[in-house]
Amino acid sequence: MEGFILLSEATQVAETVTEEAGLVSFNAWIVIATICNLFIQMLLIKKFLFKRVQAVLDKRRELAEEDLRKAKVSREEADRLRVEYESNMEQAREKATQIIDLAQKNATQKSDEIIREASQEAVAMKARAEADIALERRKAVNEVKNEIGSMAMEIAGKVIEREVSEQDHARLIDEFIEKVGT
Amino acid sequence: MDNINIAGAKVYGYIGPDIPVLGRFPLSETLIVSWIVMLLITLLCIFLTHNMKVEKISRRQALAEWLVETANKFVIGNMGQSFAYFVPFVAALFALSVFSNLIGLLGVRSPTADLNTEAGWAIVVFVIITAQKIKASGFGGYLLGFTKPIPLLTPFNVLSELSTPISMACRHFGNILSGIVINGLIYAALAGASSALFGLIPGAVGNLLSTIPILDVGIPAILSFYFDWFTGVMQAYIFCMLTTMYIANAAEG
Repeated sequence: MEGFILLSEATQVAETVTEEAGLVSFNAWIVIATICNLFIQMLLIKKFLFKRVQAVLDKRRELAEEDLRKAKVSREEADRLRVEYESNMEQAREKATQIIDLAQKNATQKSDEIIREASQEAVAMKARAEADIALERRKAVNEVKNEIGSMAMEIAGKVIEREVSEQDHARLIDEFIEKVGT
Repeated sequence: MDNINIAGAKVYGYIGPDIPVLGRFPLSETLIVSWIVMLLITLLCIFLTHNMKVEKISRRQALAEWLVETANKFVIGNMGQSFAYFVPFVAALFALSVFSNLIGLLGVRSPTADLNTEAGWAIVVFVIITAQKIKASGFGGYLLGFTKPIPLLTPFNVLSELSTPISMACRHFGNILSGIVINGLIYAALAGASSALFGLIPGAVGNLLSTIPILDVGIPAILSFYFDWFTGVMQAYIFCMLTTMYIANAAEG
């Protein structure tokens, strides 16, 4: 490889103004420009990549924190509601028990009253019925008495074939009845 | 077979006034490609971050967020939370390095194949290291640090301090340049081998085929995978890793 040349110094090409620097050459201008380039690039990257992405990341974190905060608030609200609901339920249960107790008591009272009234009425009805029965019996007995009386009168009239005087009449009947009754 | 000419960056011309010591400003291939690289990086950033949303993000935005988070993790992991403001600097360094290394695949000359580029970066890192050391232990403490553990070692300490940026710059430059040199050599060698191999075919066919560097197709791509892709990304990573480590160590005093 005799043709392999490391050009360590600038070579001038005749036809054009283009020249080639050495493979390892030092040029202060290029170093300075490179340093400037580095800082310019740093600012560009910062402006166009980091600032923008960071803004989005920050916004996302804020949103996430906001969501977490909201979730916490709604959980607390839910807890509060649950406690409230449970206490309400407890109260409602107590009230229901009270109402049922009261209703039972009322019902018992009422039924007792009804039973009492009914038995009173029954007693009263029984008494009335007995009174009625007694009356009817007395009536019937009287009717029978009268019937028998008139029958006896007729029979007696037929037997005696004469009119019995009113005085005799009454006496006869009474005698008859006395006899029949005994 | 022609000579293989591996030279430095082209200089297309000079502009501006002739300043003493510095001379006129060279419109070098290194700088022009650097500006193209910067433009690409900036356009990529703008492309990745336009129309960003908080929810239901696109793949583009996911990539942008991943890049930012990776850069944050890298810098904060190596340097600590107090150095979070260094993230854009290290990211710029890494992006410039990777893009400069890989732009060589497009056929232009990598800016990182010019030692001046790495020298610029290394000088910046060196200045930051020194500033952090002075901040940590004061100017007197910084100077006294060179006499530790015994004053006899002062020259070696100074040498070691100066070798930090030089080794950083040369490591990066050397790896990229070696890739270019080896690629050039392999292309030339394969062209020669191709010519010799197909020249064995007799007649006009052999003459025609021997002028076409058939072996140059494919084989260099495999080597390019290591020398361009792997080395390109690796050296950028190493440069940034060393930058963060050195600065963090300097701040510890």
